[in-house]
Amino acid sequence: MAKQTRRGFLKQTSVGVATIGVLSTLPTLAVVSESEAPAVTSAAETELSAAVLSEPMVAHVRDLSTGEISLLLGTREIFFRDPELVVRLLRAAR
Amino acid sequence: MSSHREAPEISKDPVADSTDLYAFVNTDQSDTVTLIANYVPLEEPAGGPNFYEFGDDVLYEIHIDNDQDALAEITYQFRFQTHTRNPDSFLYNTGPITSLSSTNWNRPQFYSVTRVDTSGTTVLASNVPCPPCNIGPRSTPNYQQLAGAAITNLPGGGRVFAGQRAEGFYVDLGSIFDLADLRPFQNLHLIPTPAQPGVNGTQGYNVHSIAIQVPKTHLTSDGSNPTNESDPRSVIGVWTTASRRKATILQSNGDHVESGPFVQVSRLGDPLINEVIIALGDKDRWNGQQPSGDSQFAHYYAHPELAKLLPILYPGVFPHLAAYGKPRADLEAILLTGIPSGIIKGFQNFTGTTQADMLRLNMAIPPSSNPNILGILGGDLAGFPNGRRVFDDIVAVELRAVAGVTISLVDSTFNPDGAASVINDFSPPAIPSGVRYEQQFPYLGVPFGGYESRPHPGA
Repeated sequence: MAKQTRRGFLKQTSVGVATIGVLSTLPTLAVVSESEAPAVTSAAETELSAAVLSEPMVAHVRDLSTGEISLLLGTREIFFRDPELVVRLLRAAR
Repeated sequence: MSSHREAPEISKDPVADSTDLYAFVNTDQSDTVTLIANYVPLEEPAGGPNFYEFGDDVLYEIHIDNDQDALAEITYQFRFQTHTRNPDSFLYNTGPITSLSSTNWNRPQFYSVTRVDTSGTTVLASNVPCPPCNIGPRSTPNYQQLAGAAITNLPGGGRVFAGQRAEGFYVDLGSIFDLADLRPFQNLHLIPTPAQPGVNGTQGYNVHSIAIQVPKTHLTSDGSNPTNESDPRSVIGVWTTASRRKATILQSNGDHVESGPFVQVSRLGDPLINEVIIALGDKDRWNGQQPSGDSQFAHYYAHPELAKLLPILYPGVFPHLAAYGKPRADLEAILLTGIPSGIIKGFQNFTGTTQADMLRLNMAIPPSSNPNILGILGGDLAGFPNGRRVFDDIVAVELRAVAGVTISLVDSTFNPDGAASVINDFSPPAIPSGVRYEQQFPYLGVPFGGYESRPHPGA
């Protein structure tokens, strides 16, 4: 499972995970910035939930040391930090 | 080539590789501007069974700056969708394709056209058919009529076409990339050989064209009809880009999924810039940048590598160019800001002081009924670098400019070498025989057919 998902990432990816269902963790994360749309609102989250069901969501761990993650969803890119999640991903990749 | 395979990364991604960009006013529709962005370089016409298509996963765009800030006030977006009618056949067509709706065509492609401007986003047309590729007389009989049916009128004026066309750009590729051993000047080269005529390296190849013709009033900043060449509102800057989603995940069933925002992977304004001016180490990055940030590349224009090479490769032929050590203000003006008023009588295509690679068109200059393929260098103000027409000999024009013939426009102390005004890759500068154009939209010629293809005779 871990090997299959790593293979699909962009060339510059250090560690990444393609997944669906991560959305449920979003409210607990510190959103650093977003490349296109304004900050996530409750209404937007509801909309995103529907979107997640029909398309993949890609998480790109940009920096292992800081836990900075880029979340790709639709045509949006959201940056946040979650070192604990990165640690769990690294464990899963072993 | 103009911009075919011009950078390492995009050379591996043909459907997103912009090859040529044209912007011009034509005599048959002089109240309109035609914009053509070509993609998919060097299509060998017989290259089946999977013939050439636009990328369904590529966002193609043509951008227009109309207020001198090197930013796009208007963008036309093109998105494609391809269907497979019969997945149980390996064939592109299972019989003659006699209409765009023919069920014999197994891989029809459709597209949408969207205009994005300061008032918002407007879908101008959707589910517009492309023509098939030109396969041969049995598969695509009456090709001109078949492709003509794919010309689609747009609401509010204008029309659009997207599909295969004959390559209209001509260049002696073999000589230029063999240490600029320009035919017919081989006898003057550092490694001399007998002089021979030029060879059109793109002869017989096709490309995929996105062509849109719109009223001039749709492009000016205030909706006015440009009639005064000295009015800044008459000038637009044009460039094309191709973008892909940030992440692609390949799946073992042959499918793939994509996610994230679009990332620009290709761009093109003036011809030959990323090809010849920008150095190898910056080419891929250049493709991802916006024109408004091009001052970071200005040093390549100020001291172009080719201008240093010509005196070395042609000993004794370019002594004045060899001795000229000043920054090339002529190239910076022509290619990065446009030519201001007062340099060339009756002409300007200045787009402000922001250095940016854009194809600049003064829409108030009337089209020439007797065009010169050397454009402004040939005394024809309606030709390159005032926009670019499909037949303009941009290789000869830029070779001569780099060789120093335009330095005297900005530096009266410079006397161009005699060779600078005659150098080119064909002699005399002429459209090579066999290159196809049309007199009407979309102006690029009917594509060469696979059945008629005779690649590299005598090789």
